[in-house]
Amino acid sequence: MIFKIEDVTVYFPYDNIYPEQYEYMVELKRALDAKGHCLLEMPTGTGKTIALLSLITSYRLSRPDSPIKLVYCTRTVHEMEKTLGELKLLHDYQVRHLGTQAKILAIGLSSRKNLCVNTKVLAAENRDSVDAACRKRTASWVRALSTENPNVELCDYFENYEKAADNALLPPGVYTLEDLRAFGKNRGWCPYFLARHMVQFANVIVYSYQYLLDPKVAGIISKELQKESVVVFDEAHNIDNVCIEALSVSVRRVTLEGANRNLNKIRQEIDRFKATDAGRLRAEYNRLVEGLALRGDLSGSDQWLANPALPHDILKEAVPGNIRRAEHFVHVLRRLLQYLGVRLDTENVEKESPVSFVSSLNSQAGIEQKTLKFCYDRLQSLMLTLEITDTDEFLPIQTVCDFATLVGTYARGFSIIIEPYDERMPHIPDPILQLSCHDASLAIKPVFDRFQSVVITSGTLSPIDLYPRLLSFTPVVSRSFKMSMTRDCICPMVLTRGSDQLPVSTKFDMRSDPGVVRNYGKLLVEMVSIVPDGVVCFFVSYSYMDGIIATWNETGILKEIMQQKLVFIETQDVVETTLALDNYRRACDCGRGAVFFSVARGKVAEGIDFDRHYGRLVVMYGVPFQYTLSKILRARLEYLHDTFQIKEGDFLTFDALRQAAQCVGRVIRSKADYGMMIFADKRYSRHDKRSKLPGWILSHLRDAHLNLSTDMAIHIAREFLRKMAQPYDKAGTMGRKTLLTQEDLEKMAETGVQDMAY
Amino acid sequence: MEKRVKYKSSVKDPGTLGSLELSEVMLLFVPNDPKSDLKLKVQTHNIKSQKYTKEGSNKPPWLNLTSKQGRSHIFEFENYPDMHACRDFITKALAKCEEEPNKLVVLTPAEQLSMAEFELRFKLLRENSELQKLHKQFVESKVLTEDEFWSTRKKLLGKDSIRKSKQQMGLKSMMVSGIKPSTDGRTNRVTFNLTSEIIFQIFAEKPAVRQAFINYVPKKMTEKDFWTKYFRAEYLYSTKNTAVAAAEAAEDEELAVFLKPDEILAQEARQKMRRVDPTLDMDADQGDDYTHLMDHGIQRDGTNDIIEPQNDQLKRSLLQDLNRHAAVVLEGRCINVQSEDTRIVAEALTRAKQVSKADGEITKDANQERLERMSRATEMEDLQAPQNFPLAPLSIKDPRDYFESQQGNILSEPRGAKASKRNVHEAYGLLKESILVIRMTGLSDPLIKPEVSFEVFSSLTRTISTAKNILGKNPQESFLDRLPKSTKDEVIHHWTSIQELLRHFWSSYPITTTYLSTKVGKLKDAMSNTYSLLDAMKQSVQSDLRHQVSLLVRPMQQALDAAFQHYESDLQRRTAKIT
Repeated sequence: MIFKIEDVTVYFPYDNIYPEQYEYMVELKRALDAKGHCLLEMPTGTGKTIALLSLITSYRLSRPDSPIKLVYCTRTVHEMEKTLGELKLLHDYQVRHLGTQAKILAIGLSSRKNLCVNTKVLAAENRDSVDAACRKRTASWVRALSTENPNVELCDYFENYEKAADNALLPPGVYTLEDLRAFGKNRGWCPYFLARHMVQFANVIVYSYQYLLDPKVAGIISKELQKESVVVFDEAHNIDNVCIEALSVSVRRVTLEGANRNLNKIRQEIDRFKATDAGRLRAEYNRLVEGLALRGDLSGSDQWLANPALPHDILKEAVPGNIRRAEHFVHVLRRLLQYLGVRLDTENVEKESPVSFVSSLNSQAGIEQKTLKFCYDRLQSLMLTLEITDTDEFLPIQTVCDFATLVGTYARGFSIIIEPYDERMPHIPDPILQLSCHDASLAIKPVFDRFQSVVITSGTLSPIDLYPRLLSFTPVVSRSFKMSMTRDCICPMVLTRGSDQLPVSTKFDMRSDPGVVRNYGKLLVEMVSIVPDGVVCFFVSYSYMDGIIATWNETGILKEIMQQKLVFIETQDVVETTLALDNYRRACDCGRGAVFFSVARGKVAEGIDFDRHYGRLVVMYGVPFQYTLSKILRARLEYLHDTFQIKEGDFLTFDALRQAAQCVGRVIRSKADYGMMIFADKRYSRHDKRSKLPGWILSHLRDAHLNLSTDMAIHIAREFLRKMAQPYDKAGTMGRKTLLTQEDLEKMAETGVQDMAY
Repeated sequence: MEKRVKYKSSVKDPGTLGSLELSEVMLLFVPNDPKSDLKLKVQTHNIKSQKYTKEGSNKPPWLNLTSKQGRSHIFEFENYPDMHACRDFITKALAKCEEEPNKLVVLTPAEQLSMAEFELRFKLLRENSELQKLHKQFVESKVLTEDEFWSTRKKLLGKDSIRKSKQQMGLKSMMVSGIKPSTDGRTNRVTFNLTSEIIFQIFAEKPAVRQAFINYVPKKMTEKDFWTKYFRAEYLYSTKNTAVAAAEAAEDEELAVFLKPDEILAQEARQKMRRVDPTLDMDADQGDDYTHLMDHGIQRDGTNDIIEPQNDQLKRSLLQDLNRHAAVVLEGRCINVQSEDTRIVAEALTRAKQVSKADGEITKDANQERLERMSRATEMEDLQAPQNFPLAPLSIKDPRDYFESQQGNILSEPRGAKASKRNVHEAYGLLKESILVIRMTGLSDPLIKPEVSFEVFSSLTRTISTAKNILGKNPQESFLDRLPKSTKDEVIHHWTSIQELLRHFWSSYPITTTYLSTKVGKLKDAMSNTYSLLDAMKQSVQSDLRHQVSLLVRPMQQALDAAFQHYESDLQRRTAKIT
């Protein structure tokens, strides 16, 4: 359908539109007009992504003189594929209605591992070796060497791509990763470098959060994006954690050992170069005197991860004199490693601020703050000079330099925590030194500063006023949309007791109680016998899931479940989890369906949809609190309290409930869909916990469903499923319209009535 | 019909003398002079029109036929009556030709039958001798056409029947690790009972065990030793004492095979990953965000879980087993070997896996399907017009199977011997008694004694299941058994053929086309034929059986009579309508 929002003609690829999608577009357009940032919460299952894509692409079409670029950030690669899939649908529609002028170039961008088509490189096991294997064939000095020595192996795809030079362009269209690979294979061009090159020409770029938030990556990939870009963070409820992760580093004993080995290797290389090509080292020294850490712009294939510090914090000055000479730099690093080794030997947990850490480092190892700050750039320069391609082998020393640069750059918002062992397993010594960032606003600040509009959107952003504080920005639009329901297609319930009236909870003192474990099991046994197709269960942690499944297996509960449905489980091995998910879907497509056991905060909870028959029931076992005794979490809570006056308990509950909401929210995708959600823990019946759930769940949570036992829940589930099986009028009844046609929209535009749906 | 004519290729042509032969299909002109090569053949359906000279004009009786190709043939007859006779004949033949196409339409599907369908029909005929006989009798004697014969048997040809026969038996949902040994209670000896079903499942879930079996048995050890070792390994695994397991594995390399992670599985997993839905592929993320790089990000803030570091060699978890088990059950029984020999099963499974691996290479189709499924999943269903996806057929078991299996149970059950002595009447009596009791004393708890209700229920089940068998043993049938075999076969054969004929006969009414009327005519002839055969049979049997045979034959003849009667009355009605 085609309609107008103020002066923008919107092309929307479906015949109908939900009223909240329309509202969402209106708000989004206001934010774009104001060239400001916005925060939009809209329940899952209301077609957020397509509404967003279709408004922004239409907005672009309506302003041909100043075309905006869309940078769409997703958390995972499979979400990237999903988004590109929707964009493809939209693009086809727009081209059909507008012809070639609607054509855009949209690409997904990922790492070498996901884009490489060279079979020899792909044979490498993991990502790092794919990167290294690629560098071994594409680094500039390797290619220079190959002109003399024909035995040096190069990558044909990269060579062809280089040969095509500026002619290597992608024709307009929407390219998923798979499309890029197919195109590259077809033309004989390297898809990875082609995609990297096309970033500056593309109208829509879809990539992962890290490519914009993590300075190490953003520094190389995203530095050329223009200001007139709209940046979208989808599923952004965890964005604060991503920001923090991006600026945190930890050092273990293995890291130090590896770094020492790396230094030995570097030392040898330096000696070798001194003997054969001393001029090169001298040239590097001269460059460093002039203040250029790197020799200008590197060719794409030579780039490494960029400086871990944020661009605005990096000073453009010359590298300090004491680390200009390669040998001296190696000495400094040796002293640093030694010092870190001593600190790791501690018996107690130590917490320190960066300032005091730096000063004690200065007094004991004689390394100044300024020297620390330049460690990363200096190392990179040295490695380039020494022509090192085995980047994955040199990860430990890079990590140490990362750490040094960060600790030398930031005085606040960070803390250094040294733990001799993990508190949950005190018998296993595993000392770790962590530099953890507490301030999520640090990493995202450059993004807010650089781009004219940043859209943060998700199904769960409540409380919506917390996010601007955590990320310290001022949105021009901040709204939470309700969901207009054609029928009550979600059925949340709070289960507090088992059939035997004993309370259930995953509270620490209760979770291993056999009665609780049994009641949890019985709940599932009963549910799988009445719920058709897919059932998903979320547990609070892997270890808890592991334990409870083992107990169910011993007590025969698992067998009873398996008589009804097949059982698939998320494990910590991603390959296995992926296959389990694939099989789960297949099992839901036929036969009696399946049960999927998963973990809140796990990879599955983050990004996999259990929509339609893939999930008719979600059971959330317990409240997914973080491990509250963690030193890092404590430090962060302290920081939040001091800086933002956010209370500890409030933050923890907020964090746990957003995870729970995220888990159960995966069950619904559109209004034709339906699903039940069971919160199985007595703590959910308390108002302070429950009220943190997003509004669209709360509005369906009836008072009668707040304190249920297993048998009552079964009864309600039966009724609900029977009701949902009836045919219904999709357009909505009783005066509320939940599905708007083009005519409805035109009428609304005439009368100026906007709020007819609620 | 044959006439003496003169053939002219054009008006000016003086003409050739010869004879014209007419048949429904074609007309043939043969010149008198055998040396002349003016022989002419014209297919009737090629004739477009005919012109003729009028009687009374001074022209000779000419008949001018124009063929569809535009050529004209002129025949000069000796006199007008000859010409008229010919003209009428050709008109009739032409009329018939017009009708022919209609018939052709009916026939075409038969001609367009695929090879597969023919094979299916052929197979059905081969498997069912009765059907074959009927087919021979009617189709080959042209009473029925091939299509008519099969159209009443669509069910046999239907796709459902093919699909149904293809449905495989699934696997049990029991876990392999759930096999519990039995103990004698006194010693520490345990006994495992392995069935071929369990062995199949072990092989399917653990390809490494399968491979080990192929490698070791019987060259290195006996099958019994093999399984003993296997369960030893399972026991070690279940104790969760990795140290002991590692120690034993170090000493015994065969045992180690069972404890090591399964290489073949890992390989299969890697292969399957390539076919996985990209919206589920979490492995792709692994390379995409940089946080998984060693030491990047936060390690110990309590969000990430920790696992006990385990001996890598012996790492295997219940969760993995569960996933593997469910995957195997989902895959179903991929081989069709019903063998007691374990080795054959193992080898067949290995082969099946290799085949599926080869399939994996040709992923184009699968890829296409995957993409389609993905694009379907990205669409929002309720914002657009509904799409109709094909429905999967339900395959529901025939309820009769249950009763038949009950019958079998009762017969084979030793306890059943006692139970079956009590017949329906006894159960009925019991029920009646208890109703009487209720009448006298009112309702009590329980309403009916469980023994009584069980008795009633089981005898009812039995009655229903045996009803079919009893039906087959009605007095007539038992009389049939007393007939000599040839007579009996004849009676049965007549009965089935009459049924077939009658089915076709009645389904032809009401008669709307000439095609149907000819069909009915043919059927009537065939039926009267059978009728007389029945009479003849009645005459030929021995006198002591004659009465019984006639009793048997009577309903058949009555049915036929009814058909004849209907035929006659319908014919009269139709002729009345025409006139």
